[in-house]
Amino acid sequence: MAVASSEQFCEACGAVLSPTVAAAEAVPSEASPQAIPEPDDLGATAATCQTCGGEVISDGYCGTCGARAPTLRDHFTEQPAAWVAAVCDRGIRHPRNEDAVALAADDEPGSRAVIVVCDGVSNSIDSDVASLAAARVARDVLGSSRSRGMGTAPSLVAAVIARLEAATDAASEAVLEVTHVARVGAATGNPASCTFVAAVVEEDLLVVGSVGDSRVYWLPDAGTAVALTVDDSFAQEQIASGVPRAEAETGPQSHGITRWLGIDAPSHSPTTATMTLAEPGWILACSDGLWNYCSEAQDLATLVQKAGGSSPAAAEPLTLAGALVDWANAQGGQDNVSVALARIDSPAPRSTREEA
Amino acid sequence: MADFTAEVYQNEFLPDGGTDVHAIVTVTCTGAGAAGQAGEGDAGEIVIVDTSGSMGAVNIRAAREAAAAAIDQIIDGTWFAVIAGTHEARMAFPAGQAELGMVRMDSSARAAAKLAVSRFSADGGTAMGTWLTMAARVFATVPSLAQKHAILLTDGENQHETPEKLTEAIDSAKGRFQCDCRGVGSEWQVAEVRRIAQALMGTVDIIPSGAEMAATFETLMRQSMSRGVAAATLRVWAPQGAQVLFVRQVSPTVEDLTSRRQEVNALTGAFPTGSWGDESRDYHVAIRLAAKGIGQEQLAARVQLAVGDNVVAQGLVKAMWSSDDTLTTQINPEVAHYTGQTELADAIQEGLAAKAIGDDATATAKLGRAVQLAVETGNDEATAKLAKVVDIDDPNAGTVRLRRSVDKLDEMALDTASTKTTRVKK
Repeated sequence: MAVASSEQFCEACGAVLSPTVAAAEAVPSEASPQAIPEPDDLGATAATCQTCGGEVISDGYCGTCGARAPTLRDHFTEQPAAWVAAVCDRGIRHPRNEDAVALAADDEPGSRAVIVVCDGVSNSIDSDVASLAAARVARDVLGSSRSRGMGTAPSLVAAVIARLEAATDAASEAVLEVTHVARVGAATGNPASCTFVAAVVEEDLLVVGSVGDSRVYWLPDAGTAVALTVDDSFAQEQIASGVPRAEAETGPQSHGITRWLGIDAPSHSPTTATMTLAEPGWILACSDGLWNYCSEAQDLATLVQKAGGSSPAAAEPLTLAGALVDWANAQGGQDNVSVALARIDSPAPRSTREEA
Repeated sequence: MADFTAEVYQNEFLPDGGTDVHAIVTVTCTGAGAAGQAGEGDAGEIVIVDTSGSMGAVNIRAAREAAAAAIDQIIDGTWFAVIAGTHEARMAFPAGQAELGMVRMDSSARAAAKLAVSRFSADGGTAMGTWLTMAARVFATVPSLAQKHAILLTDGENQHETPEKLTEAIDSAKGRFQCDCRGVGSEWQVAEVRRIAQALMGTVDIIPSGAEMAATFETLMRQSMSRGVAAATLRVWAPQGAQVLFVRQVSPTVEDLTSRRQEVNALTGAFPTGSWGDESRDYHVAIRLAAKGIGQEQLAARVQLAVGDNVVAQGLVKAMWSSDDTLTTQINPEVAHYTGQTELADAIQEGLAAKAIGDDATATAKLGRAVQLAVETGNDEATAKLAKVVDIDDPNAGTVRLRRSVDKLDEMALDTASTKTTRVKK
């Protein structure tokens, strides 16, 4: 809508027009919603059909057999540094990939890393867009802050937890923004929603935060593997009341989650946990597309050992993540699958590094 | 320049092993402009009037007025002609020339043509095939025509020509012009005239009495003059190995287009749709695919509207195999509605045909089913017309009794309206 300089109101909407000088001095509000990262970088399709070799038309389908040409969104990888990598895959049985991963890492192995996995709730409106927006904005928030508190161990933990809370807020805003843009989700009772799990490595400190049922495990090369997150799910509530895990996780309500990110979410404050990394091993973050087939931490550790080939400790993280995704698909690929890994070789105490 | 849009209504979810995909595609045209004004060729109109002896003094007078009313609606610059039809075809305007031809409309041509039609007299028999053949030849004399449309009026059976001769004439006229057909009174055969209208992508309807003839002709010609897009085709692409079960126009009327397929390439068929004004038409497309695994997605059809070689609108019909029953068992409301309306048209026509040969049991069953479908799909016009032919005991159960005495005009009105559909109530 063009407006003549002498006019004070927009002819189209009647809004009062601000003087140009004031507009130029406007300061962006801190509360302004996070822009949704454009998923365009994942929208591209191959030119040749993977099913029949025909030509893929601009509408995204093969011109010969009609197969939907996979987009990068269906299967993508991230590897910000040699020791941190993730694979995010549509799986077999779901029509689209509603999982998302986003990573950040410093080059020096074991120094600093951020892993975020979000699992879009099946069939909620645009949950594939929401999960990617949430994961990326959370990664950006977590990666941009280097606040270490007062330099003491307890204050660093507090600082990282504060970062996680800010990242979850931003992720939640991003999901809500998708619903606002779509304008239909809230009305249909099916607004965009996703889980959230993040792992932050600050040298030998690992802090995780979770909303929903995506998980982080610590899988040491030797010793006992542990799940660091506790699901917000009906299955977990049953487990807490004494039902065996295997039974609870295969029951009729097993995939119902009790907390999530979305306009209809009860709360999105992350449940956090902290550990000190004292031995070599793998940090593994994943969606239920993997753990549905291998829930117990020790079973997952065994699976990683097998998938890692002759020397699992030396496995290439991206290759290993891909092998775990392939394994989940070989089990049936009932859901989207995300696997993110960070290799910890020789955790150094924070104090040593800070002096160095 | 005209704008076309295409919208697809379907349930894309198929159960495990599911193969058949149904979709309703609504094609809407806006900004069509007036016939012959798009700069892509001229418009041509021929008015064909039955001047056989059976027209009599009253109807021939009405026909003179109707032809004049149509001529008044033809916009200047349009090529036109008038044919008087009996057991042979005669050029009423332009007349007296050695060769067949058409004239460009202007004020003097309009006056001359109106004078010519005022001299119509009722005499001779009826051979509609000869009228169609002459119309095709007349249109062929003007190479610049992009849009060719005729209005045909008849009042009686095609007595002076064998059905085979008429079929031959229809076949040779097919694709050469569009023709809206109207029958006046109750002595003509709906099935016979419908055959002409369907082949020549026009409409068929009854004019109960001569008094309504002029208004009908005026409306028909005005509609034709508002169709600024001379010709368009519906293109349906289906994947290799798939089978196009059918392609039907389902609104504003039911027309099965399946057999009119012209090959664009091995996977794409073109179905002529004639000229377009500012309007919406709905198409029902059904495709049979090879079943894929749960979670797989593929395109079942690309449904496009093409003007010449340009695709101006496209709708995508999709298939997604899912194990979620709540998704796969839903029937799309538009598909359900038009499936019912198509069955309604068949039930009316089959019921009336059975009634005509004295098969009361079949007629009662078919017309009962028609009442049920008309009520179910909210087709009030069909329900009202059916009520004049049958006594309705229970519309929901489709229980009816054939009426003892039925006005022939009511029965014919039901027959001609059988293919008219109503849209889904939103």
